[in-house]
Amino acid sequence: MALAQRTGRSRHRLVLLALTAITLLTVDLNGFGPAESAQRAVRDVLNPVASLASTIFSPVGDAWNSVFNYDDLEKENEELQAQIEDLQGAALRGEADTETLRRLLAASDIPYVGDLQSVSAQVVRGSVGNFDAHVVTIDKGSRHGIEEGMPVVTGAGMVGRVDQVDNSTSRVQLLSDDDLNVGVRLVSTDQVGLGYAIAGERGMFVIDQGVNWPDTDDATLLPGIGTLVVTAGESGSYPADIPLGLIAEVGRAADEVSMRVEVELANDVGDLHFVSVVLSSVSDEFPLGEVIADTTGQGIDPDVLDGDEGDGG
Amino acid sequence: MTWLKLGLVLVVSVVIQLSVFVDVRFFGVAPELLALVAVLAGFLAGPERGATVAFGAGLLWDVWLPTPLGVAAMSFATVAFAIGSVEAGLFNETRAQLAGLAFLGTFGAVIGYGLLAEVVGQRGFVDVELLRVALIAAALNGVIAPLMARPMSWALRGPTTLRDPAVLR
Repeated sequence: MALAQRTGRSRHRLVLLALTAITLLTVDLNGFGPAESAQRAVRDVLNPVASLASTIFSPVGDAWNSVFNYDDLEKENEELQAQIEDLQGAALRGEADTETLRRLLAASDIPYVGDLQSVSAQVVRGSVGNFDAHVVTIDKGSRHGIEEGMPVVTGAGMVGRVDQVDNSTSRVQLLSDDDLNVGVRLVSTDQVGLGYAIAGERGMFVIDQGVNWPDTDDATLLPGIGTLVVTAGESGSYPADIPLGLIAEVGRAADEVSMRVEVELANDVGDLHFVSVVLSSVSDEFPLGEVIADTTGQGIDPDVLDGDEGDGG
Repeated sequence: MTWLKLGLVLVVSVVIQLSVFVDVRFFGVAPELLALVAVLAGFLAGPERGATVAFGAGLLWDVWLPTPLGVAAMSFATVAFAIGSVEAGLFNETRAQLAGLAFLGTFGAVIGYGLLAEVVGQRGFVDVELLRVALIAAALNGVIAPLMARPMSWALRGPTTLRDPAVLR
């Protein structure tokens, strides 16, 4: 009898907890301010403690990596040695290349990333759980002027967007997340489309919505291999003309009407240490309706044009 | 006092998860310490109190996860309730049994988390990778469980604690 009563009471407790969870889910999904503030407060309190713990335990992580990732480290070391040799020879050439990039961007009326107003930040943490492989935490937050949605760049171009802002830290959703859609412009043809990372192919990005294959077989109408891809800007989700990378391959999409453009990203987002957050206002609309004549009826889903299709991850 | 001790264990667990297990991973998978806390709460404190503690652990972990608030909390509470209910009808506790329950509980918690995330509209949680992560995290938690049982038992020790597990004696 007593056991039955206890079991019944336990079930009531579980139902109560489930209802509480559903309520929290609902308010959080609807962006209820106090719920977000409470979460931010908890993170703001625990972040300094976690940072201190990270510093204390960093030898453990280093030792772990040296033991269990020795082969990777050895390979990385060899690659770094080779890079140092290359860099020594390319130091002077680099200055010329930077100048060339500036001139290329200037010729297209594109500002150099380094010229945009930004806040520098250090990557303090990678993914914390098992379901957020494409995020990093940086050591700058709202008190440094950072807001949700701001683009995150390095000198080479875009690496992601600010996904969550706390007082002194922010979470960045990396460009490697195939849930992160970016409105882009192909500089050589001035076409605007929508792209995302190719899952499982590190450093590769594909544009397969919004850019149509030319009606004629004139190859000059195709974007050139090695030409620049930048953010679309204007009324898109990010400021215009932040470089993403260079076109690696152009082909027809599966529907035979759209174009599929593969882009090699300028940044290796898997190995970031320092980044800059571009301090810019963000709008929510995207100009594709005006720019692109969609003859296929397979236009871009308006739900994904705000740059982030979902928070999964 | 018990809730204060529980809070301390939860905070220490989340700090360890955020610091040590960012780098220390096995086949790219980190142990799920907060899920382990939930399982142990069910094991040590029974279904009612265990589910409540597990809910708190899940809620704290939800703050850091990419999913909406309440997903991990719901998953952890359900698992703690199940572990507490099953365990109430069992045996003399041993390390192997504790490890086994930690494995099963963590596996259930991770799978439950992925399923719930998908249900509330998050993409890409339910796939083969979820199974891989759940299996590895469950195995890791099974190994860690005897170590974690001590602080959890210390934190839960109070008038309503159901048992003092033999594994700790």
